[in-house]
Amino acid sequence: MDSSVTLDRVVMRFGDFTAIEPTSLEIRSGEFFSFLGPSGCGKTTLLNIISGFLTPSEGDVRIGDASMRGVAVNHRPTAMIFQNLALFPLMSVYQNIEFGLEVRGVDRTTRRRKADELLDLVALGGSGDKPVSALSGGQKQRVAIARALAVEPRVLLLDEPLSALDLKLRQHMRNELKAIQRKTGITFIYITHDQGEALAMSDRVAVMSAGRIQQVADPETLYHRPKTPFVATFVGENNRLPGRVVECHAGLAVLEVPGLGRLTGRCESELSPGQPAALFVRPEHLSPSSAEEETEAPRLEVRIETVSFEGAWRMLEARLVATGDTLRILAGQGEGSALQPGQTASFGYAPDKAIVMADDGSPMLDAETGEIQEAATRPDRESPHVSSA
Amino acid sequence: MFRQLKARFGAPVAMAIAGILGIWLILMVTLPQLQMIDYSLRPSLLPAEIGGPKDGWTLINYVTLFNNDIHLSIFFKTLWSSVLVTSLTLLVSYPLAYYLAKTATPGQAALCLLLLIIPFWINEILRTFSWFILLAFRGPLNEILLTLGLIERPIRFLNGDTGVLVGMVYAYILFMVFPLYNAIESLDGNQIRAARDLGAGSLRTHWRIVIPHAKPGIATGCIMTFMLAAGSYAVPALLGSPGSRWFTQIIYNWFFEGGDWNQGAAYAFLLLILCIGFMALVMRLFKVGLADIAK
Repeated sequence: MDSSVTLDRVVMRFGDFTAIEPTSLEIRSGEFFSFLGPSGCGKTTLLNIISGFLTPSEGDVRIGDASMRGVAVNHRPTAMIFQNLALFPLMSVYQNIEFGLEVRGVDRTTRRRKADELLDLVALGGSGDKPVSALSGGQKQRVAIARALAVEPRVLLLDEPLSALDLKLRQHMRNELKAIQRKTGITFIYITHDQGEALAMSDRVAVMSAGRIQQVADPETLYHRPKTPFVATFVGENNRLPGRVVECHAGLAVLEVPGLGRLTGRCESELSPGQPAALFVRPEHLSPSSAEEETEAPRLEVRIETVSFEGAWRMLEARLVATGDTLRILAGQGEGSALQPGQTASFGYAPDKAIVMADDGSPMLDAETGEIQEAATRPDRESPHVSSA
Repeated sequence: MFRQLKARFGAPVAMAIAGILGIWLILMVTLPQLQMIDYSLRPSLLPAEIGGPKDGWTLINYVTLFNNDIHLSIFFKTLWSSVLVTSLTLLVSYPLAYYLAKTATPGQAALCLLLLIIPFWINEILRTFSWFILLAFRGPLNEILLTLGLIERPIRFLNGDTGVLVGMVYAYILFMVFPLYNAIESLDGNQIRAARDLGAGSLRTHWRIVIPHAKPGIATGCIMTFMLAAGSYAVPALLGSPGSRWFTQIIYNWFFEGGDWNQGAAYAFLLLILCIGFMALVMRLFKVGLADIAK
C-alpha cells in the first residue's frame, strides 16, 4: 500500500504569525523521515497538520493518493506517539493497546490476540494485565508504540517520544524504533530537536528553522554537504569564520577573513567577489600544524582556553589570537593530551573539508551560547531590511 | 495536628486553639445534635408530664411517617425529585464544565465564570423570586412563547414540579459546575487527543476518557446538589406551592405550626438518613472514597 505523505504548498498562520511558510515535500512510503529543528521552528505544527489536529491555512496534505482535506483526526490512517505518551492511566496495558481496536468494533478475542502479538513485538510479552502506572519509563514507551501500531496506521507520527528517557535507554530505544520500523514497513515521521537522534535513525531528515525547511537530505549529506549556514551550524558542530569572497572557481572559494587573511574552502554554489560569506570548518577537521609545514595551508593561531576530556576525545575551546572569536577543536587521544589551557597553538585544515557559503540572512546557531540567533541581531552583518527601515 | 501546632506556636497557644476548637465542636455541633436525637426518641408531652411516668424513649415518632400515607409519599417524592434535580443539573453542567476546562480560551472562561457567579452575589430567596416572576402565568416566559406562537394559552409553570425543577437546577448549578470543572481541568489534553487519534469519536472519548477521569468530581457535585435539593425549603415553598410539597416543609410545619418538636426532629433525622444513604450509594456506584471527594 502506498503510504507516502505529500505536503502540497502547506501554509499555517496563527493570526498575524506565520508558523509554516509555504512548504512542499514528499515523504516516501516506508521511509523513516525526521523533522529536525530548534523549538519553535514549526516542526510540531507540521506534525499536527499531518495528523489532522490542525487544518492548514493553505495547501493540502495527501497520504497515498488521498487528500486529507476535510478528513477528521479519527478517520486518518495515521497514529501518533505523543511526547508525554498520553497513555490512559485508568486502563491496563491490554486496555490501552486494544482501545483503537475496540473503537473499530473488533471483537474481544481478535483484540486480545492482536495485543499479545504487539506486546511480543515490543518485548513486553506477559505484561498485558498490569496497570500502566506499574510500568517503568521504557516500558511505557513500548506500550505507547504498541498502542499506536494496533490500529495498523500507514503513517506513524512520533513527537519527540524519547526526550523523557535517560541517555542509555534513549540510545537503546533508538535502535528498537528503527528495528520496529523495518519490521513493520510503516512510514515513520519523527519530530526531534536532537540531531543525534535524527541522524542515527532516519533515512532522510528535513532541517527546519523559523517555519521553513532548510534542507532535506540523508544524514551523511546533511552533515558533509550542508546547503545553508543554518544547517551547517545546527547539524553537528561547526566553526564559522565570516568574511568576504575574493574569488570562486572550480569548486573552491577564497575568502578574505578580517585578521586571518585569505582562507580557502569548497563552494557548492556560485559566489561573486565582494559578497559577504562565511567559512565553516568542523571541530574534527582542525588539526595541529607546525611552523615548518608548507605555508600555503591555512593556519589559525589560537590560545587554548578550556580542555574538556570526553573519553575517546578532547574538546578544546580556544580563541583566535587575531580576532578573539571562539574556535572549537576536537582532538584525538594522542594529539590532545599535550595541549593545556593558556597555551598558544596553531591549527590547520584541509581546504576540501571546509565549506564557504554566502550569508543568506537565515538564523543560525550561536556556537558560544548554543542559542539561535536571528540574522538581524548578529553583530558581524548589517541586515539589509533593518538598515533600510 | 496538635503536635504540629505545638511545634509551631508552643504549648499554651496550641492548647488554646485546640480548646476553642473542641468547645466549638462539642457545644455548638455535637450537643445540639444529640439533643435533637433525644427529642426525636421521646413522645410529645405537655410540659407538666415531662419527667413523669409517660416520659421515656420510644420509636413512636419514627413510626408516624410510615403510618401517614401523605407524608410518606412526599418523603419519596422529595427523594425522587432530588435525584431528578441532580441528574438535570449534571446534564446541564457537564458540557459547560467541559467547555470551561478544555475548549474556552482563558478570556472566554473568565467571562463565563463571572456571568455564572454574579447572580450568586444575590440572596437565594431573591433569585428564586426572580424565577417566580419569569415563570408567572402572565410572566415574560409565557409572553415570549405566546408571541412566538409555540403555545396557544399560557402554561401554569408555578403550580407543580416544573417550577421547582427549574429553580433548583439554577440554584445549585455552581455546586455541580465547580467540582466538575476542577476534575476535567486536571485531565491532560493529550489524553483526549490520543483517543481521537486512535479513532474514537467525541461521544466515546467522553465516555471512556473524560468521564472516568472526572468521576470524583461528578460524585462530589452529585452529592452536594442532592443534599442541597433534598434540604431545600425556599425554592419549593416559592415556586412549587401548593402543588409540589417538599419534605422540608413538613418538618417545618411540625416544628413551627404543629409545635411538635419531637415529631419534627424524628422527620429531620429520617431525611438525614436518606441523604447519607444516597451519598453512600453514589460513592459505591462511582467507586470513589471520601478521600477522593475531599480533593
